[in-house]
Amino acid sequence: MNLARAPHAPAAQPLPVQAGLAAAVRQLRGVKILFPFVVLIAIWWTIQATGNFADRVLVSPERVFDTMVLLISHGVLAEYISTSLTMIGIATVVSILFGVPIGFAVGANRYAARSLEGFLRFLQGVSGIAWLPLIIIWFGFTHTTTLAVVIYTLIVPIIFNTMVGARAIPEHYALALRSLGAGRLRLITDVYLPGALPSIVVGLRLGMGYGWRALIAAEMLVRQGGLGDLIFGARTSGQIDRIIGGMIVIGTLYVLIDRLLVQPIENLTVARWGVLRK
Amino acid sequence: MAATASADKIVVSGFRHFFDTEDGPVQATGMIDLTISAGEFVTLVGPSGCGKTTLLKAMAGFFRPTEGTIHCDGRLVTAPGRERGVVFQELAILPWRTVRKNIGHGLEIAGAPKAEREEKVARLIDLIGLGGFEDRYPHELSGGMRQRVAVARTWAADPDVILMDEPFAAVDAMTRLTLQEELGRLSLATRKTVFFITHSVDEAVFLGDRVLVMTRRPGTIKAEIDVPRRAAGGRDWESFTTDAEMQGIAERVLKLVRAERGLTPAEEARAVAGTSA
Amino acid sequence: MSVQAPTAKNTTHSARRALDRLTWMLVPAAPFLIVLLIWVMATGILHPSKETLPPVTDVIASIHELAVSGQLATNVMASLYRLLLGSVLGIVTGVIGGFIVGLNRKMAETLNPVVVFFNALSGIVWLPLMITWLGIGTALAVFLIWNTVFFIVFQNAALGVQLVPEVYEQGVRALGGGRWQTLRSVTLPGALPYILTGIRTGLGFGWRALIAAELVGAASGLGTMIFDAAEYHRSDIIVAGCLIIGTIAVAMDRWLLLPIERRTVQRWGLVADAEKER
Repeated sequence: MNLARAPHAPAAQPLPVQAGLAAAVRQLRGVKILFPFVVLIAIWWTIQATGNFADRVLVSPERVFDTMVLLISHGVLAEYISTSLTMIGIATVVSILFGVPIGFAVGANRYAARSLEGFLRFLQGVSGIAWLPLIIIWFGFTHTTTLAVVIYTLIVPIIFNTMVGARAIPEHYALALRSLGAGRLRLITDVYLPGALPSIVVGLRLGMGYGWRALIAAEMLVRQGGLGDLIFGARTSGQIDRIIGGMIVIGTLYVLIDRLLVQPIENLTVARWGVLRK
Repeated sequence: MAATASADKIVVSGFRHFFDTEDGPVQATGMIDLTISAGEFVTLVGPSGCGKTTLLKAMAGFFRPTEGTIHCDGRLVTAPGRERGVVFQELAILPWRTVRKNIGHGLEIAGAPKAEREEKVARLIDLIGLGGFEDRYPHELSGGMRQRVAVARTWAADPDVILMDEPFAAVDAMTRLTLQEELGRLSLATRKTVFFITHSVDEAVFLGDRVLVMTRRPGTIKAEIDVPRRAAGGRDWESFTTDAEMQGIAERVLKLVRAERGLTPAEEARAVAGTSA
Repeated sequence: MSVQAPTAKNTTHSARRALDRLTWMLVPAAPFLIVLLIWVMATGILHPSKETLPPVTDVIASIHELAVSGQLATNVMASLYRLLLGSVLGIVTGVIGGFIVGLNRKMAETLNPVVVFFNALSGIVWLPLMITWLGIGTALAVFLIWNTVFFIVFQNAALGVQLVPEVYEQGVRALGGGRWQTLRSVTLPGALPYILTGIRTGLGFGWRALIAAELVGAASGLGTMIFDAAEYHRSDIIVAGCLIIGTIAVAMDRWLLLPIERRTVQRWGLVADAEKER
């Protein structure tokens, strides 16, 4: 009950000139994002133009641009990109399908949670890449190898965060629902899943970050296509334009996936359900 | 309260402030003029959002007012400084310093020699009754104790003026009464000039020599009420609640403040009874 | 609880609690033991080639052999040295960068797109370019570690600086403190929990990036050890290497970094989001 009402408080009156300026500034903000990149490219161009660099050490921004256009027009770039995206996509789906249930199963029991925590940390310490030689022995230089490494990397944060999210749910939520007659399935769909979801999504975001990098690294060594293969292969043939171009594509792609796909999901869940985040 | 120019500690003239937000400037206060004399304890009461904190922060020098000037001891206020000590509502003592080091922080900054610093800090710790807690960290203390440390810290730095922004608002009711009595005694004993803002009418009348009442947002000062001089040793709550003159003043102030809330007593009573306001 | 025969009930009660505590402490070992069990059973039942799945005894023997021949020490030292170098550089630059950006809102906004982009690129993606520029060796590894650690520490430091409550700074300024005073007594300690989290996380990632870098190109170090072992099909050394890598990662975190965090941050009663960037 709010007694301190102030019904006649004068509303905030922004002065007209200032309001117009503010709108103009806001439109400029979109362009502002590109500004530092423009500066960087300018610096790059200057360094390359003034220094005496061999072609295998540094090339101009235009060269890189031309090369990328070439790769795009021949469909080559598209193929590399689609390979990488397919890999990360499959790995993500598999990691979620297996990781979330495992996380819930383990999270249900204190001892199981505690035991797995140390183990997962150890596994994370031995990065997927360290296992790569062994996995190559098992599966050869194939996509399976790459997938194995990426799934290994992706699934750990997902399991971990699912566990943490499930355990953070206050007990009385479930108890309250059981007093309403809810059965096992109901509890999962109505309490545990939504309750742990913000944490799971955070784990997903982290996992995809680690997984993307592990993917590039694995592709560099397995050499069966994908962006990692592109830039690593270009190194052996001294094609710096491809390396730089490939790096730009890798960075941009990741930013796009993160901003356009993962972050919105995170914002939807966390923003709506707020507090349960750790 | 007539004051000669030389005894004016703080002069606020033509003050009005606007904040820059994404939707354009928002008016935080109305036009304010006020003068505080040396040794006065001035309290300011007003409804939430009226701009009293804005006024205090401008007096502290945390930002330049959009309009108007603030002078302290004749000098224009442009930045924070140790002449104007501030006690905040939120916890502002540093969590990574012990009680002792927090209280002595101002002296440390001023470069006072260690012996002098330790002596002053020890005296203040005695005064505020935190003996035995000198080496504790803030998170080990209760809310009331933390605010004592905050007040002591400001006092130790020996500023000319002390600005207090609802310092006891977050403290439990019982402790608050004690703290108010202690503050009253402390300010009398040390003859400090204090500017104290609050939204509690009782607190304002209890502590102040002069009570200013602020209108609702954007606030201006609509009334000034003198409170009879405090006896040596300060006021205490028991006699305050039984003193007819004091209670009369409190009622007057309350009426003035209530009028700002936009509800007559009848409307207020109805709201309390449960009809949606 | 019944009052009869107090002594007998008490002993069983405290015995049970002691057992609980013991279980709680030993439980983290469980997954490792389970894996060990599966490993031994798989070796015994499936009889895989030594290349595919080296028997446990072989792995232990190779660890012993490496230790005795001094190879283990050499490689571990080489890796740790690179980690130290790269991390120190990364931490120092990260903290400085984070402070500059954290204290200056304008700069933070302008630089943000660039930071996000290069963060997406951080680590192994620089490998092909850097091999071309720096060649194979310590410089390459140090760069990759610096790159990894820098971004993590930088972001955490910037966040920490921004999250220091403004009141603390205002309080010190009202005591007469100038910019330098404020930086030293407020901003630095205030941001410390986040910086420490960043260091802890960064070192974990740095270690993994190091191994990946060594796998591709270095003269010594644990990654190289694994890579060489792969060339000679010595899976037992590969597994041994991986186990050692994981152990060092966990040991470093638990016995070096965690205590540091405890001594400062927890003593002050501040709780950092330690599990944020897992």
